[in-house]
Amino acid sequence: MKNRKRDDQSPDLTRRRFLTHSGTAVVGLGMLSSGLLSARTWAAAAVGEHASATLMRMARDIYPHDTLDDKYYAAVLTPLAEKANSDAELKKLLSDGVRELDSRCDKLFARTYLELESEPDRVLVLRAMEDGAFFQRIKGDLMMGIYNNPELWPRFGYGGSAWEKGGYINRGYDKIDWL
Amino acid sequence: MTTKFDLNDDSLVVIVGSGAGGGTLANELAQKGIKSVVLEAGKRFKMEDIENDEWKMFGKISWLDKRYVEGPARLAKDFPNLPAWIVKGVGGATMHWAGVAMRFQEHEFRMRSENGVIPGANVLDWPVTLKELEPYYYKAEQKMGVCGTEATGMPFHGQSSHYKVVAEGARRIGAKCEQATLAINTEVRDGRPSCQVNGFCMQGCRIGAKWSTMYTEIPKAEATGNVEVRPQSMALRIEHDKNGKVTGVLYADKDGNHLFQKARLVAVAANSIESPRLLLNSASSMFPDGLANGSGQVGQNYMTHTTAGVYGEFEKPVHMYKSTVVPGIVHEWKDNDPSRGHYAGYELEILHLGLPFMSAFLNPGRSGWGRELADSLENYDKMAGFWVCGEDMPVESNNITLHPTEKDQYGLPVPVVYKTDHINDTRMRNHAYDKATELLEAVGARKVNYLPPYPASHNMGTNRMSAHARDGVVNKWGQSHEIKNLFVSDGSQFTTSGTENPTLTIVALAIRQADYIADQMKRNAI
Repeated sequence: MKNRKRDDQSPDLTRRRFLTHSGTAVVGLGMLSSGLLSARTWAAAAVGEHASATLMRMARDIYPHDTLDDKYYAAVLTPLAEKANSDAELKKLLSDGVRELDSRCDKLFARTYLELESEPDRVLVLRAMEDGAFFQRIKGDLMMGIYNNPELWPRFGYGGSAWEKGGYINRGYDKIDWL
Repeated sequence: MTTKFDLNDDSLVVIVGSGAGGGTLANELAQKGIKSVVLEAGKRFKMEDIENDEWKMFGKISWLDKRYVEGPARLAKDFPNLPAWIVKGVGGATMHWAGVAMRFQEHEFRMRSENGVIPGANVLDWPVTLKELEPYYYKAEQKMGVCGTEATGMPFHGQSSHYKVVAEGARRIGAKCEQATLAINTEVRDGRPSCQVNGFCMQGCRIGAKWSTMYTEIPKAEATGNVEVRPQSMALRIEHDKNGKVTGVLYADKDGNHLFQKARLVAVAANSIESPRLLLNSASSMFPDGLANGSGQVGQNYMTHTTAGVYGEFEKPVHMYKSTVVPGIVHEWKDNDPSRGHYAGYELEILHLGLPFMSAFLNPGRSGWGRELADSLENYDKMAGFWVCGEDMPVESNNITLHPTEKDQYGLPVPVVYKTDHINDTRMRNHAYDKATELLEAVGARKVNYLPPYPASHNMGTNRMSAHARDGVVNKWGQSHEIKNLFVSDGSQFTTSGTENPTLTIVALAIRQADYIADQMKRNAI
């Protein structure tokens, strides 16, 4: 019931909490104002503000790339939340998962997940849940959404499909300047 | 091609599988005028189906039918339903292989004589020697177009940045490193283009520079008019007559119809999980433990190579993906030198993964997440490293069995794969981790990551060759000890795994087997 109450909190408070706990508050603000994907856009859909903010924090803890925009994490969470709208089982998986996460945090630290300011504390709780279906669903979707996202490959220094560009035979396969 | 054979034609050879073993055997027999039907469980892919995309190709071509992995190894936890990383399609695992084509070393055919009894391992000498196989290795290298060999005269690929980093590390610690002999064209040859270094060898070569039976042996065989390939045809069981000779293969076509193709001779080449599974599923009142299984060795001694991954993170970019997948090999520890603390040898094969697969395999399974992993992936473009490929001890309890109750989509019992390390495997892997670390640090690695074994692409030993019927399943020709017109033509006939990637040896054995089959048919011995 505690969680439901949080869902009813004013959007401003939730947003402030989300921004406070996000490693990229400034970037997040920029995205909100520019109307791009944001935590709030997908959050409104199915799981509520608190759960959505929690999932965003969790996503950034699972694969923490501090300089990576929230929108790339949101791009994974949005379709998940949208699917939950028409998939009762998934909706339950997500809301029960967030509830369990908060309840574990409450037991250990008397705080919600979002209120835990130390990454090691949050990771401690997540590690204890990593074998469960909820965690694995989020992790699996994120792994594909971040590392299998062609838009992000240049950022990680990966070339992606090469055959249509003639491969690397004439594009530096043998180049290295530091040996 | 349009060749169609009648289901009742009992003069045919029926080959189950179209990969390195089955595809090669079909073409070799076809060139001699011997007719065959190839039953392939998977689809026929086109070149346009091949993409430079790791996950898309994984989803498209992998053998993903239900299987169980059991045993205490981490693989069973990380990949409970994916013991092997092989292909379901015309061409089989030759679509997926990286093209590494090395001959076995002389001593690897007689590891029992070399080392004596190794407790807990079921080591046996091959009934074949390197000397006997040499002419066939030569033919295989010519057929497949292996660069850097006398057989083709094709040059090596040239040193990629990934190769150069490792070669420099090897030089600094005094280890032997060479460019890999790959069955990938470095010149236009045999109607196929030269490699353009796309870096996606294991997703299927988009331009056909790498040898795969999909676009070499199979179309050549079909062009003779002597071969009919039936894709999406899953072999269900091999039947036999009252004299114990096999009579044909019952299979399910793409619509699920059960058809029986008569045969004069059956050759099983469905890879080391499906081949023994088919023999076990063919149990009858005459052969209650499965066909060719008088020794009890069908499905036993499952080997995968002793594997691991080792990736160093450097200060500056390497761009390892701009390379053939395996540009070179560190050969220093491939010999059998028990003074290292383990029997048999291993190769450090320089090998890259793309970012998508690196994220999945750097720390595979449920626990692969968190800041350490993310930090390493931030350094993806600065990585260089290896896939460790070492000789795997045959252990009888590493095996393929049939699930007692669960059936797959064909109504066949689901295969259960039990695989865990022999202590020798563990010691070898640890030695490889140490040496790889030394090498990578010598050239400046700031962090070294250790990857546990992932699903096996090298699957061997489950229908092994032996001099005596009591010790194995087939003789030195891959012919069943018990049933004269039943052959095994894939890596499951390997007596021991050797250190080298198996494909070249599978092809050499298939060429040799075709000669034997042709001779035996001519003499009416089979």
